[in-house]
Amino acid sequence: MSRFDAVVVGGGIMGCTTALWLARGGMCTALIERDAVARSASGVNAGTLTLHMTRAALIPYALKGWQLWATARDWLGHDVGVVAAPGLCLAFTKAEAALLEERSAVRREQGAPIKIIAPDRARKIEPGLSGALKLAAHSPIDGHVPAYLTGLAYKKALVEAGCTILEQQPVTALDRLSAGFRIHTGETIVDTKRLVLAGGVWLEPLLALLNVLLPVKTLINQLVVLERLPPVIQSVVTIASGLLSLKQFTNGTVLIGGGWQGKGDRESGETAIIPENLIGNVQLAAHAVPALKRGRILRSWLGFEAETADAMPIIGSVPGMADIFVIGSVHSGYTSAPYMGRLLADHILGLDPAMPLFPMERLLTGHAEGVVA
Amino acid sequence: MTRRAELAVIGAGPAGAYAAMAATAAGVDCIVIDEAKAAGGQVYRAPAVRRSKTKPEVVEGDRLRSALQTSGASLAFGRRVWLVEPGFIIHAIGRDGPETIEADRLILATGTTERVIPFPGWTTPGVIGLAAATILLKAEATLPGKRTLVAGRGPLLAAVAAGILEHGGEVAAVLDHSPRMHWLIALPKLASRLDLLRRGLGWWATLKRAGVPIRHGDGIAEVTGVDDGLLIKTRSGRAVTCDAVAVGHGLTPSTEITRLLGARHRYAAELGGWVPALDAFGRTSVDGLMVCGDGAGVRGAAAAALAGELAGLAAARELGHLDQARFDARASSMETALARASRFGGAMAAMTAPCADDIKAFGAETIICRCEDVTRGQIDAAIDAGASTIDQLKAWTRAGMGPCQGRLCGEAVAAILADHAGGREQVGLWTGRAPIRPVPVADLVGDVAYEDIAIPKAAPL
Amino acid sequence: MESSTLPAQQTTRIEVDGRPLDAELGLSVAAALLRAGMRTLRQSPSGLPRGAFCMMGVCQECLVEIDGIKRQACLVAVEPGMRIMTEPVP
Repeated sequence: MSRFDAVVVGGGIMGCTTALWLARGGMCTALIERDAVARSASGVNAGTLTLHMTRAALIPYALKGWQLWATARDWLGHDVGVVAAPGLCLAFTKAEAALLEERSAVRREQGAPIKIIAPDRARKIEPGLSGALKLAAHSPIDGHVPAYLTGLAYKKALVEAGCTILEQQPVTALDRLSAGFRIHTGETIVDTKRLVLAGGVWLEPLLALLNVLLPVKTLINQLVVLERLPPVIQSVVTIASGLLSLKQFTNGTVLIGGGWQGKGDRESGETAIIPENLIGNVQLAAHAVPALKRGRILRSWLGFEAETADAMPIIGSVPGMADIFVIGSVHSGYTSAPYMGRLLADHILGLDPAMPLFPMERLLTGHAEGVVA
Repeated sequence: MTRRAELAVIGAGPAGAYAAMAATAAGVDCIVIDEAKAAGGQVYRAPAVRRSKTKPEVVEGDRLRSALQTSGASLAFGRRVWLVEPGFIIHAIGRDGPETIEADRLILATGTTERVIPFPGWTTPGVIGLAAATILLKAEATLPGKRTLVAGRGPLLAAVAAGILEHGGEVAAVLDHSPRMHWLIALPKLASRLDLLRRGLGWWATLKRAGVPIRHGDGIAEVTGVDDGLLIKTRSGRAVTCDAVAVGHGLTPSTEITRLLGARHRYAAELGGWVPALDAFGRTSVDGLMVCGDGAGVRGAAAAALAGELAGLAAARELGHLDQARFDARASSMETALARASRFGGAMAAMTAPCADDIKAFGAETIICRCEDVTRGQIDAAIDAGASTIDQLKAWTRAGMGPCQGRLCGEAVAAILADHAGGREQVGLWTGRAPIRPVPVADLVGDVAYEDIAIPKAAPL
Repeated sequence: MESSTLPAQQTTRIEVDGRPLDAELGLSVAAALLRAGMRTLRQSPSGLPRGAFCMMGVCQECLVEIDGIKRQACLVAVEPGMRIMTEPVP
């Protein structure tokens, strides 16, 4: 039987980054993933590296995360196709303009270099924007990454760092040993000294295997892609309410997101679009950039996003249980994910994390007796 | 606009038309939806332009169209179905914008897609599918070119080549990938429909009389575009010049909607590939969802019509319009005819089943995914890098991510991966997703005012 | 390239890439362009020439702009005054 210094359960960007730095930090590390590396939320999200949609309190983390994405080739060792672009957040009504000013101010206080600009200025930066624009907010720090490709780069990096990767193996049971843990996947049994839970929306059932009750809500975000078009936009376009993310990749395809909800079920993994929401999302996008009406909708898909009761992350140790750590539920967390993973790895390696973690005590609704290290 | 019906039928080829007519005759309130402007499917496709000669398919198609027209079923033609929700809600786009059709039961008769096994140069303009050539000749009265090479497998070879001659075109050669032996093996089964067998033999005789070179066991090795045409190298080393190529290797059932609805599927090479798992009347594992015709497994037009009728009757019985005794009597009277038709169609389908060697034959530079220009070499590299599922392979290479949504390359990509993963069943199917076919944004969004867009409440700050 | 057509019947004037073309009414745009000797309709992502392939709405290779919207030429029938733009290939 294999025995590791650390096992990370969950192969999204946060789990992968944590595993990568643990392995690089000298720990014999394994990563266990229920599907394939970066194929769930981390592989199917919109790949938006924006500050306009980041929760204000997470802006300092997102700025660090953005830097890491932009320099992935240096520290990850592989290109992930990041495109740095300005971000434009739009308002089409008076109410949206007020919301935009208010929210941009709060994000600015947290360090985001966001400026309010007039519609004609915004259209000079992005000529494809609608004439109906009332106000815009501009950030020089924004961009996007083709999320579906990041798994390939991470997988290579993990292998190079000596990390063992077990894919297509959902964890079915977790046993506490006198020192460490035994992990059952149905296919294999793995022992480890330290356990990191990075299971996204499946954090709740994973923690439940340890009798820790922490509700994690599952958001089911819809995404729509248009087939290749000649260049229509260069920036990342969002809207004051946060309900639109819009970008054109270098290959010409246009990705429309913004957290419009679909239907789905965490347990079965099945998802289905809500057609009214797909149409609404595309109507909003075509309102912002009218040239999109010349294109065709190619495909839609859905991804699970984990959200805690206060929509803030859980990153750190599990209270009262030595050697168990969690990481996840970072709202719109793709931008900051590589930084969050680094922070937790530092914490586990006994280094001082450069920024505060997000302890989970505040959210615990139940904690079975006797489950104490 | 929303319409309601007890039964919706998607696809108005022989299977869908007969399903709708049988159900409607039994008293079912039924609606038939098709992307084409008239019924007939591909086999009885309504001619876009009429010419003096009337082919058997046109005569039969006209008969089918007029019977369906007067059957009492509602007809919704010229509609592209882009989503089907369980229960069933069918979302379509027509000339007048988006439409929804709600139905308690759904029969899918969506037919097949032509399988073309990739080879170097198959993306060159002038190279078209065998089924495409059939449509050009029969429905559009248009020749694929002045001098056409006809290649691939199965009964369409002779039909297309003879059709080209009949329309005044030239056939450079017929390359039949199947050895002559395959035809001999199939012969006893083909004899179950002497009329069709006779017609097929007639086509081959016509080609012989015209002096068209026919080569069994040969295929296309490479196509190159030259100044005013195409240069073909055959597997046996011959060179052929022409200005058009019609090539196809059989048909594969269209399973987009059954996949989208989560029905159970099985892999059956002799039926054309992945097919929905069905009972004797065409019922899937999803309650109220039925499939009939070639979309359920390639068996040909005659079998499709009978299977459609059976599915229509079964739906009528389930909806309470037909009692069990009458249903049983009708169903059992059709058994023999359906079995006979299936035997003939099945033998034809079996002749076109792909061989593993077809995929292995082509080198690293061969484009597999036409939409995204993904080569065999790129797919092999992704598998070497650890892509273990078909969805992961798609993500890493973009094969299947383009506008045809994997319909043309899915078969080849799966076959390549199956070689490593230990079989087609292990490789599985690409996830079904909306839209079922690409939809123009303009058609879907219409001219909506900003305040009428139903934007959800703002995300947390 | 010479056109490879059968005798046409009722024709109508359409516009292709800014030039007039007399095409048979009711014919699919894809067949009308093929009859006019136009086989290359668009380019692939890496710039390779492409034309109609399946003729039944599946392959998406015959995508052209018809009256300002990208549509499949094999699924749209010729109508009077129609304006078609193919994609130039380098």
